[in-house]
Parts: sequence; structure tokens; C-alpha cells
Amino acid sequence: MRTGHMKLSPGQLIALSDSRVVWGWALAGGVALLLLPFAVSNYGLTLVVSAFVAVMGAVALNMLTGQTGLISLGQSGFLAVGAYANAILLSDYGLPVWLTLPAAGLATALVSLVVGVPSLRLKGLYLAITTLAFSFIINHAILYAEPLTHGPNGIFVKGATLFGLDLQRGMPLYYLALGLTLVTILAALNMTRTRIGRAWIAIRDHDIAARAMGIDLVRFKLLAFAVSSFFVGLAGALLSLQLRFINVDVFGLILSIEALAMIILGGLGSIAGAVLGAVFLSLLPEALRLFFGLVSDPNSTFYTNYVFEIRGIAYGVVIVAFLRFKPDGLIGMWRDIRKYWSNWPLAY
Amino acid sequence: MKRAAFYACLGLALASQVHAADPGVSDTEIKIGDVSIMTGPAAFVGRGFAIGSKVAMEEINAAGGINGRKIVVVTEDDGYIPSRSFQALTKLLEVDKIFALNGTSGTANVLAMMPLITEHKLPTLVSQAPAPLVYQPVRPTVFTFGATYDNAFYAQLKYIHEKVAKPDAVYGLIRQDDDFGKDVELGFERAVKAFKLNAPLRIRFKKGTSNFAAEVAQLRKAGVSVLANGAIFAGAANILAEARKLDMPLTAAQVWSEGIPASAALLAPAGYDFLVGDYVSLVGPANDRFRELAKRFVPEGELKNISRYTYVSYIGMKALAHAMQQCGRELTRACTVEKLRQIKGLETGGLSAPVDFGNEQQLSGTAVAVYQYDAKAATFKALTGFEQY
Repeated sequence: MRTGHMKLSPGQLIALSDSRVVWGWALAGGVALLLLPFAVSNYGLTLVVSAFVAVMGAVALNMLTGQTGLISLGQSGFLAVGAYANAILLSDYGLPVWLTLPAAGLATALVSLVVGVPSLRLKGLYLAITTLAFSFIINHAILYAEPLTHGPNGIFVKGATLFGLDLQRGMPLYYLALGLTLVTILAALNMTRTRIGRAWIAIRDHDIAARAMGIDLVRFKLLAFAVSSFFVGLAGALLSLQLRFINVDVFGLILSIEALAMIILGGLGSIAGAVLGAVFLSLLPEALRLFFGLVSDPNSTFYTNYVFEIRGIAYGVVIVAFLRFKPDGLIGMWRDIRKYWSNWPLAY
Repeated sequence: MKRAAFYACLGLALASQVHAADPGVSDTEIKIGDVSIMTGPAAFVGRGFAIGSKVAMEEINAAGGINGRKIVVVTEDDGYIPSRSFQALTKLLEVDKIFALNGTSGTANVLAMMPLITEHKLPTLVSQAPAPLVYQPVRPTVFTFGATYDNAFYAQLKYIHEKVAKPDAVYGLIRQDDDFGKDVELGFERAVKAFKLNAPLRIRFKKGTSNFAAEVAQLRKAGVSVLANGAIFAGAANILAEARKLDMPLTAAQVWSEGIPASAALLAPAGYDFLVGDYVSLVGPANDRFRELAKRFVPEGELKNISRYTYVSYIGMKALAHAMQQCGRELTRACTVEKLRQIKGLETGGLSAPVDFGNEQQLSGTAVAVYQYDAKAATFKALTGFEQY
């Protein structure tokens, strides 16, 4: 395993990776993801698509919170805007899905600017509360704009076909979700390597110093909101395609908290961490279900009566344990493992 | 010879198709799914519901099962979150291979599951959230048991108008800003129009609101003496507590969720003998008989979770079982749906009006009875029998 990181040319600095091993693993992972639908059941695919939605949301939030330092509790609101934009354009206006998906992202990005502008003067918890208030406003707007959003009745999402394929179930949905997730991750990775990404990191580390260096705070903060929200909107659109029914109850505040938990658990500021955190938290309930199915006695009255409470508590305990013992998150754990093997047998 | 062999093979293939059992049916058992609220603040709804399924299952199995097959109930938790309901039903269909669905959680939750229900032609009994959105438009395999909130409130307001309220009573409404709240308001408006009630005030509040000081102050200012309280659980209790603080003389009509012992206990400290309209019996010999039956199959510690949701689940399962029984050994989803449609006057032992799905909407249990809570004795008493409104 490679241990050195010396860069000999500017090209190496902006390359996604200059390691053949990394590209090899990425290729193997890509092939495995392409073949996955042939190996898992429909239920497995449903879980994986849900994990993809979570990955998109977490990577997008990481742009805003992890890289730019703008804490947002409004992700559920942005997700709702994307889902509703897609559902309305698709089901009510009959537009093709190749148009409704980017439109959902753009609509969310535009709406995010409305939050972004007043948020320019706010930081930390104040910004978090502002974005939280935004998601409440979005929920209200959806409920009261009944002629457009169908109000509390919700919308059945239908008509997402492309080349005769139904993009709302099975393999076509999986490949669409995989494609959108890869686009989101690649966009995030590339943004980090541009002037924009470096400006975001500078703002996060010290906004006054960043301004002194000539970074336009207004422009770059708004850009962070817009770009992040575009991808959250896409994730919302994907969620609406998967669920095939949406109403405001789908977009509870808990989604915003979970998104924040994903990037913290994965490792704040790291795109790989956001991916790991999202996959981990999305699949943890299922892993716990399988685990308890193996170790528990199905005839135990205590277990059968309290199975759901036990699983819920275990979910919380795993998260607390991770944050206590691995504050750098999953990506920190991965770095430790890598370092251990690189230095073996001299590892300590 | 070749032709004979061909026809023999064809015959065998057709016969195997005819006898090919639908998912969830084996020689010895039938799997029924249940998506319920087992965690979170409303978990007591799911706990009550699970007891009803369990009692029905054990009772049916003890009597020999459905044409020799035992019923097995597989429960999945959705935490009252629609996206999790979708995932839970996917798991029940793909992993557990259920034959039919009895538990369907809340309205948004059952709607989130509806595309899967339709796609799999899954016989489904909706008894927990009998909202019009579930049965309008009619889905061929979905059968709804229960009245609307509209009917439940109309029934209570009719009773109050005719038997309790003074002629100069002022009526007010407070309701959530969602589909459930809209349905409550429909019943209120129907009563206002039918009985020409003096109703100057209608208040909407956001779901999840816990402080109702401002709303109750408005009610008092308007002189409201009869309140259609469209809040649920802690929200409903907070409204009555605020009214008590202001010493408002109030007759309150409540949502049927307040008929659960746990919710009634929350409302009791305010001291109002509130009313509840429900499509299942809350008190009486039928309930006593059910409790005795439950003691045979449910651990002592779980009996405290028996509630109206237990009865709706029990009735749903009994209706499903009745339909499956009619299909004989060749049990299929299509046959079960057909037999469900034919159910007419199925007795529930007094827990509700008889079940009857032979109508266009595949809707039953719409008759409502009105009950009153005695805050001091912590008991309900029936004010009316089951009637159509």
C-alpha cells in the first residue's frame, strides 16, 4: 500500500487520484455496483436505492456544512421541494422524466437562494435555526398551496418512463439512482479541487481571513447553498420516484437531523466520509434486524413484545458509541486501518 | 402417441398453474402482514393493534386454522413515517412473502404503500385509517373498515345539539392543518348546516403544536361552549387543560383516538366529561368478552395495551379469515378478494356493526356510536348504539 503523498506536478494536485491502486479499486467497485441487481433481491435493491438517496443528500450537505461551514437543518425542506417539483411536473404536467429531474434540482437551487440571502449574516446555531425555520415554511407552503401541491392529500408520482423503461421500480430505478449518485459524488469531488471548493474551505476555516484574501463571501456562500440544494433536490426527486407517493409527512424534521448525523458519523468535511456515513446509517436498521434475528430466541416473550424498542435502542447506542470512540468518524477509522497496514509490522 | 404426450404435458402445466399457490401460502400456513406504528410517540397505537391480530390469529389457529392452515402474522414497524411504511411492505412482500395485509398504519402511510398493494394485487384490510383518500378512488384489492372523522364528529355534534347543549350554545372548531383535519371540519360544517348552529370560529393549527394558549383564548373570546376538538393525544389534552385554566364551561367532542385508555388518562385531569364518536365499541359486554378471550392468548402484562385499535385489528383479521375460509384449500389472492367483496352481515360479536363489503367503495363499519367519558370514574359509557350518519 502506498504511504507517500509527494506531488511532482500541478496535474497531480487536481487529479481525482494519481494512484493506480485507487483507480483499480474504484473500477472494481463500479463493476460490483453494476452487477449488484443480478445478485440481490428486490428488497435488497430497495434498501440500496434508499441508501443512494441518503448518499446524495449527505454528500450535498457536506458541501454546505462540511466544506463551507454553513450548518443547515433545512435539508428536509430542500428534499421536499425537489420531490414536489419532480412529482408535479411529472404527474400533473406530464413532462418527461429527463426534464423533470434537472428541473427539480434547479427549482430547489432557486428556492435555496431565498434562504441563502438572509443567511449571509448568520453563522453557526443562528444559521441552523434559520434553515430549520425554512423547512417549517416549506411544509406550510405545501399544505396551503393546495391547487399546486394537492395540499395534505399528497401526490401519486407516475409516468417516469425513459426508452420504454419504467424508472420507478426494479433495475431501471436502481441504475438511475446509481447514475445520479455517481454524478453527485464526482461533482462534489471535482468542486473541491476547483477555486470554488478552495474558497468554500477558506470560508469554513476563517471567513474574515477568506474575505481579506479576496474571496467574495456573498457569491461563494450563495453558490454553496445553490449547488448543495441542487443535489438535495435531485435526491428528493429520486425519492419521489422510488416511493411513488409523497406528502408532507414524508419530509419530517428527522430527515435533516439524520443527514447531519450521517456527515458527522462519516467524518465531517470528507466526501468519502459522507458516503460511508450515509450508507452506514441507511443500512444499520436492516443490519440490526438481521443481527437480532440470528441471536434472539423467537419464542422469548420479552423479545417478541419489545423487539422494535430493542432495535431502536441499539440503533442509538451504535451511533453514540461511534461518536464516543471514533470522533473522526468512519473515514477516520478507515485512515487508521490504512495506516496500520502501511506501517505493519511497525504499527503501534 | 406424441400428441397424447403433448396434451398430457399441457394438461399438467395448466393444472399446476391452477394449483400454483400465491405467495404466503404453504401447505401448513398463511402469512399475513401487518405494518404498524411500533416505535415513537404513537407506539401505543401499534401495540394495541398487534394484540388484536394476535388474538384473532390464536383464536383461529386454536379452532383448526383456515382449512387446515395456520395463520402467521408478520409485523413490521414504520414508526408512523410513510417512507418507512413503503420499505416495510417491500420487506413483507419480498422477504416474508405475505399473502395479505391487515395492518396499514396511518393515512399517509397506507397511501405510500398503495402502489405496492395495487401492483401485487394484495388483499388488504384498512381498519386503522379509514380515510376517504384510501377508498376514493376504489382500489380493487383494498377493503376499508371504519367511519370517517366527518361522520364521527357529525354524530357527536348531533347528540350534543339534541341532548346536551342549550339553545344559545356557541360552537367552535379547532383542527389540524392536514387531511385528517379537513375531514373533521367536514363533519363540523355538516352539523352546523344541518342544525343551523351558531358557529363563529374555526381554528387551524400546525400538526405537532403543543401550546394552545392563544387558540383557547380565541375560543373563550368567541364564547364557545361546544368544542369540536380535532387535536389528538397530547394536543387534545393540552387544549382541554388550557380551557380548564380559563374555567371555560365546555362540552367537547373528540377524535376516537381519545377513546384509548392512555389518551383518556391524559385528558382526564382537565375534568371534562368529553364525548367520543367511534365505529368500534369502547365499553360493554362485547368488550368484556373480548378481554376474557385475550387472557387466553396474551400475557397478563400486555392486556393493559388493549384499546380500540385492538378491536379494529381483530375485526380486520376476522374478515380476512372469513374470506380465506370461503376459498377452500385452493387459496389465492384473487379468490380472497372476491370473497371479501361478498362479505355481508359478518357479525363481530358486538364490537362493531356487522361487516358488509358488498358496496361500490368496498367500505364497511361506517356506523358510529357516541360515548362519554366519566373523568372521575375514568370509564366510558355508551350514549347511542351504532347508527349511520
